[in-house]
Amino acid sequence: MAEETLQLRKTRYLNPYIAGVILGLVLLAANYFSGRGLGASGAIKSTIVATVKTIAPSHANSAPFYKEELEKHPGNPLNSWLVFQMLGVLVGGFLSGVISRRLTFKVEHSPKISSKRRLIFATLGGILFGFGSQLGRGCTSGSALSGMAVLSLGGFISMMAIFGSGFMFAYFFRKNWI
Amino acid sequence: MGPLAPNEIITENTNLFLAFIVGIGFGFILEQAGFSSSRKLAGVFYGYDMVVLKVFFTGAITAMLGLLFFSLFGWIDLDLVYVNETYLYSAIVGGVIMGLGFILGGFCPGTSFCGAAIGKIDAMLFVVGLFIGVLIFQEGYPLWEGLFKAEYMGTPRVSESLGLSYGLFALMLIVVAVGMFWVAEWAEKKFPREEY
Amino acid sequence: MNPRVILSTAIIGLGLIIAAVPQNTTRPYKVDASQLLVEIKNGQQFINPEEVADMLVQNDPSIQLIDVRNPDEFNSFSLPGAINIPLESILLKDFEDILNQDTKTNVFYSNGTLQANEAWMLTRQIGFKNNYVLMGGLNYWVESIANPQKPSNSSANEELARYNFRLAAGSALGTGSSEGISTETKTNTSPLTPAIPKIEKKKKKPVAGGCS
Repeated sequence: MAEETLQLRKTRYLNPYIAGVILGLVLLAANYFSGRGLGASGAIKSTIVATVKTIAPSHANSAPFYKEELEKHPGNPLNSWLVFQMLGVLVGGFLSGVISRRLTFKVEHSPKISSKRRLIFATLGGILFGFGSQLGRGCTSGSALSGMAVLSLGGFISMMAIFGSGFMFAYFFRKNWI
Repeated sequence: MGPLAPNEIITENTNLFLAFIVGIGFGFILEQAGFSSSRKLAGVFYGYDMVVLKVFFTGAITAMLGLLFFSLFGWIDLDLVYVNETYLYSAIVGGVIMGLGFILGGFCPGTSFCGAAIGKIDAMLFVVGLFIGVLIFQEGYPLWEGLFKAEYMGTPRVSESLGLSYGLFALMLIVVAVGMFWVAEWAEKKFPREEY
Repeated sequence: MNPRVILSTAIIGLGLIIAAVPQNTTRPYKVDASQLLVEIKNGQQFINPEEVADMLVQNDPSIQLIDVRNPDEFNSFSLPGAINIPLESILLKDFEDILNQDTKTNVFYSNGTLQANEAWMLTRQIGFKNNYVLMGGLNYWVESIANPQKPSNSSANEELARYNFRLAAGSALGTGSSEGISTETKTNTSPLTPAIPKIEKKKKKPVAGGCS
């Protein structure tokens, strides 16, 4: 009996509508405090810019992207809002994992595919998502979610493009998931 | 009167501290909603688990309504709230690439950090991939700079582009979202999956 | 009841409210009534015409005269270098860059002081700084600067000095003639449609956002 409840607790997630409302309130708080939405990919960009600036300063001064970036945001790129926010996400995700007892090292995949295949696809997906988020000026959180909350046209276009293309390609990769 | 940081009511350091707190809330709720699981996230594309759609639209609509009511009560100056810039082509092409990345990797950047935080190894590799992808973009920047900066449209709101009032468009969006919630429930019954 | 139904009901209800009420475009008061009262009682919004004339004669770039009368009145007579922002347009966003800034001293004027003072109160309430009102308005300006009364010979030196200054200022500014604005035949000394000076944006902007 005790084990059964434990098992239940392990997999049970918060009701999506309640979670959505709380997510909305977090986004609202970000807007109220800082006048901006949430984001994820921007933190990665800042981290890379900071790293390049430290380990290869000459490259940072000559390569066009870094030059533009450092002109736009002078000062330490690591000192950006999104970097702090993403550190918070790691902490928050971890805390939630502790509370709901979901902390385990594992590779999650469909029983039809191997762990190795899952990991290769995850990395590939990450590369594409990373690239796309830079081209599209923001990912699902920064552009689509936060953009939609302020009714930004760009946010709606991003949202439709991301999910539209997801549905379009879903058929070809169904074996990975179902 | 918000937003606090642009109105210089709080200092830059407080702002960064609040970013951390907001981040904790963000990460916590993503994980609680199940966004640390790639199979749950990918479910939206096959209809067996529509949690992404439900949480995403509920979140966006809650924040949107919150901002509108805050503005109505004079608590926030919407002119000082960032509206994302619209570059038509790069938003579409970038979005399509992100969609492909989503279906391959099963995460988006925010959720992958969340998954990595609770020990999902696939999420960690997705994060590594993100870094590689961003680096590729930055190093090859001159190659796609033209596309990146094409068709700049400023920072329009959809309501303005359609010539509707902010509030009316918000209502339309809500009606569409509620419709989608019902479709989502239907889809989950139609394409059921066992425990995953 | 399941959360989906509750949520849907709630957001549709709130959505109907938000669609029905007009969007809040009013700008919030940044200065509260009691503070404004103190400023009004002290009369600290007023700037002396002599001070203004002196700055104009010296071509002080930090002064910006703003004519708050209607465009017809502005075109028939205005002070040198003045720009026209009629009172009814004072709250337009287009003028915010001019009216809310740290670098210049804006001086509102109208025929009397009423309109200029109203312009000052409106802009002050939404938190704008560095705006002043020309004391006595154009009428007093014409009387004192453009057509100063020669004091009697028995007057104190001080008064004579002031008269001389006004005379000099009046002629330097090209308004020193026997014709006052009352006759409306005054030659306009400033360009008919003066270009609104390009002022560096000091306005607060959204800091940054999205993932950029």
